[in-house]
Amino acid sequence: MKITRSGYAGIAFTLVVFLLLPAVANGQWVKVFTSAACFTLVTAGIAFMYSRLGMVSLGQVALMGVGGWVMLRMNHGFDFPFEINLAIAATVTMLFGWILALPALKMRGLYLALITLMAAGGIEVVLSTYRFPNGGSGFWGVLPSVAAPFRRPVIAESDSAYLQYVIVVVAIGFALIDLHRRAAPGRAWAMIRRSEAAALASGINVVYYKAWAFGLSGLLAGLGGALLAGSLGLLDSATFRASESIMLFALAVVGGSRYWLGAVIAGLLYRVLPALFNDWGWDADLTLVIFGVALLHAIITAPEGISGQIIALLSRKKRDTT
Amino acid sequence: MKINNNKIYGYLLAIGTVMGANLAQADVSCGQNTGKAASGDAIKVGGIHGNAAPGDFSAATDAAAAYFNCVNANGGIHGRPIEYLVENDQWNPELAAQVASKLVEDEGVVAMVGNGSFVEMSVNAPQYARNNIMSMAGACAASECFESSNIVSTNQGPLASSIGAAMYAVEELGATNIACIGLAIPSVGNWSCGAVERYMTSKNLQGSSVLLNPTAPDVNSGLLEAVASGADSILINLPAGLAIAFLNSAQEQDFGDVYSWTSSTPLYDASVPGALDEYWTDKVFVNAELTTLDGQGPDNQNWLAVMDAFANPEDPRDTFSQSGYLSARFFVDTLQAMPADKIDDRNAVTAAIKDIKGYRSDLICGAYYVGEAKRHMPNHAGIMVVLKDDGFEKVRDCYEYESPYFAELIETEKSLKLR
Repeated sequence: MKITRSGYAGIAFTLVVFLLLPAVANGQWVKVFTSAACFTLVTAGIAFMYSRLGMVSLGQVALMGVGGWVMLRMNHGFDFPFEINLAIAATVTMLFGWILALPALKMRGLYLALITLMAAGGIEVVLSTYRFPNGGSGFWGVLPSVAAPFRRPVIAESDSAYLQYVIVVVAIGFALIDLHRRAAPGRAWAMIRRSEAAALASGINVVYYKAWAFGLSGLLAGLGGALLAGSLGLLDSATFRASESIMLFALAVVGGSRYWLGAVIAGLLYRVLPALFNDWGWDADLTLVIFGVALLHAIITAPEGISGQIIALLSRKKRDTT
Repeated sequence: MKINNNKIYGYLLAIGTVMGANLAQADVSCGQNTGKAASGDAIKVGGIHGNAAPGDFSAATDAAAAYFNCVNANGGIHGRPIEYLVENDQWNPELAAQVASKLVEDEGVVAMVGNGSFVEMSVNAPQYARNNIMSMAGACAASECFESSNIVSTNQGPLASSIGAAMYAVEELGATNIACIGLAIPSVGNWSCGAVERYMTSKNLQGSSVLLNPTAPDVNSGLLEAVASGADSILINLPAGLAIAFLNSAQEQDFGDVYSWTSSTPLYDASVPGALDEYWTDKVFVNAELTTLDGQGPDNQNWLAVMDAFANPEDPRDTFSQSGYLSARFFVDTLQAMPADKIDDRNAVTAAIKDIKGYRSDLICGAYYVGEAKRHMPNHAGIMVVLKDDGFEKVRDCYEYESPYFAELIETEKSLKLR
C-alpha cells in the first residue's frame, strides 16, 4: 500500500512527538499533552465522519465518557491487563455508537446533529447521577470513599511512558481511519457524501456504511475515554458534558476536518491552550472567546480550517520553488 | 529647596500608611515574631483550591497566604521566607492532576497547605502518597480527604459536621426520624448522609437520605421526598446557596414548626442570616466545625488580626478561612521545630508533619495530631449555633461526636495519650 506524503508527514510527526514531548515536558505538561492526545483521538472520529460523510455528530465526548466508564468498571471489576480492558472499552463504545446510530441514521444534517446532542444529554444525566466506578461493589461500582488503584500498562506506568503509549494508540487510530478510507467503506462513504440516491442506485447499503462510520467513530471515542481514565485513575462526569461535544465539534471545524493535522490542532486548542492560560494566571474561559473567533474565521474564510491553510501554504511554497 | 503642599501631603500619607500598617501588625503573632522581614532562599509550599461553579473554596488558601505573609514579615522560618504557590483546580479533575504535578514534581514544594476542594483530594491523594508529601488541608469536603494516608485537615467535612448536627437534633430537639438532605456525590452526600443514617440506627432511631442531583438540584422535590420519608427532623447538608433555597421552599409550605431543623457547617456563614427571612429565627440550628467567627480566644483573635493586616479586604472570614489559617500556623510551628538544614527536605518535612501530636488552639475543640495512619480526622468535636435575626448565637459549646466511624480515631488518640 502506497504511503502518501500526508502519511509520511504523520509518521514523522508521531516519531518527533513520541521522542521529544516526554523528554522536554515537565510533570504538568506531560499530563496536559496526554489529555490533548486523548481528545485528538476523539476529534479524529468526529472529523472523519464530517469530512467523509458530511455527518455532524454532537455526542462524541459523551461516547468518550462511555469508554471511560467501561474502562474503570473493567479495571476495578477484573484483573485483566490494561490492553484487554482498553479493547473491551473501545468495543463496547463502538456497539453503543451503533445502537445510537440506528435510529439516527434516517436523519441527516441538523436533525442528526440534534439527535446525537440529545443522546449526549442523556448520557450526561446518567453519568452525573450514577458517577464513574471507583472500586465499589455492584454494577455501578461506586465506593463512597477513596478510589481503588488504577492499573496502567506494565510498559507505561510512569506519566512520561504513558504519554508515549497514548501517542502510539492515537497514531494507530489515525492509521485505522486511513485504512478505511482506502478500502470499500471509504469508497462507499465518498459516494454517499456525493449523493445518497446515487449510492443507493449503485447498490451501496447506505444505512450499513453510515452505521459503520458511527461504529468506527465510537471506537475511537471509546479508546480516547479509556486512555483518559488511565491518565487520571478516575473520571468525573463534568468532563463529558453535552456542551463539551459541541465544543469539540467546533474545534474540529477550526482545526480542519479533512486532515490528520486538523484533529491534532483541535486537541491542542482544546486542552493545551486553556492550560497555558492557567499557567499565565489568565482566566481559562477566555479561550472560549478565542475559539468563537476562530470558528467564525474558519466558517467565513477558511472552510478547510487551520490545517487546510497550513497545507495550502506549504503547497504554494513548493510550487514557487519549482 | 521648595516643597509644595502636595508633596507634604504625600509624605504624611506615606508615613501614616507605614505607621498604620505597623500598628495593625503590632497585634498579630506570627512565627518567630521578630518584626524583621525574612530573607534568603524561599521555602516552597503549595496550595490548591477550587474556584468555579458550583462554589469558591479559596478562603482556606487566602487565609494560609495571609499567615505566611505575616510569618515572612516576622523573621520567616529559620530566617527564610515561605513562597506560597497557589493553584486553582476549577473543579476539573484533569486540571487538578495537572496543577498537582506542577507543584509537587516541577516546583518541588515541601508540603501542601490549606487545600480546599471537592475534586483535588480525590484525584491527587495517590500522587501525594507516591511522592511522600503531606497535604495539611483546610477546606475538605469529600471522603478522600479524610481517608488518605497523606492528607490531614483542620476542618471536619460533611460527615463529622452532619453527625454533630444529628446528635443535637436527637439530644436537644427530640428528633426520632431524621431526613438528611445532601448532594448525590458518592464521596460527599452519600458518605455523610449515610453516616447520619448509621448514627440514627445505632440509637435505635430512624434515618434516611434525600440526595439531590448536583448538576440539576431540585429543592422542592427534595423537600417532598423528605416529607414522604416520615421524618420529624430535617438535616440540611448542602452548600449554603442550596441550603437557603431549600429553607425558602420549606418556608413557602410553612414547615418551620412542623419539623426540627439542623444543618452542617456550610450554613454557618455571615451572609446567611441576611439571606433568610426572620421566619427562621431560633428555628435553624447549625453545627460549626471550628469556634465562632467572633470567638474571643487568642488564636481566633490572631486569625482576625492577621486577616486584617495581611489578607485582601474582600477575602472571606469564614470557617474555611479559620481552618486555612490554623493549618498554616501548625505547619509553620512544625517547620520551626525542625533543624534548619532539613526544612528543604520533603521526606524530613513529611516525617515531621506525621509526627505532630497534641497541638492545641482555641479554634478547635480537641487536640490536633497526624500520625502514621491510613486516615486522618483530628477535628471531630464542634459547637452548635442557632440562627438569629442578625447573626448566630452559640447554644452548645464543644462536644464530641458519637459514631462508629470515630472508633478507630479514638483508639489512635488513646495510643497517642491525647485523651
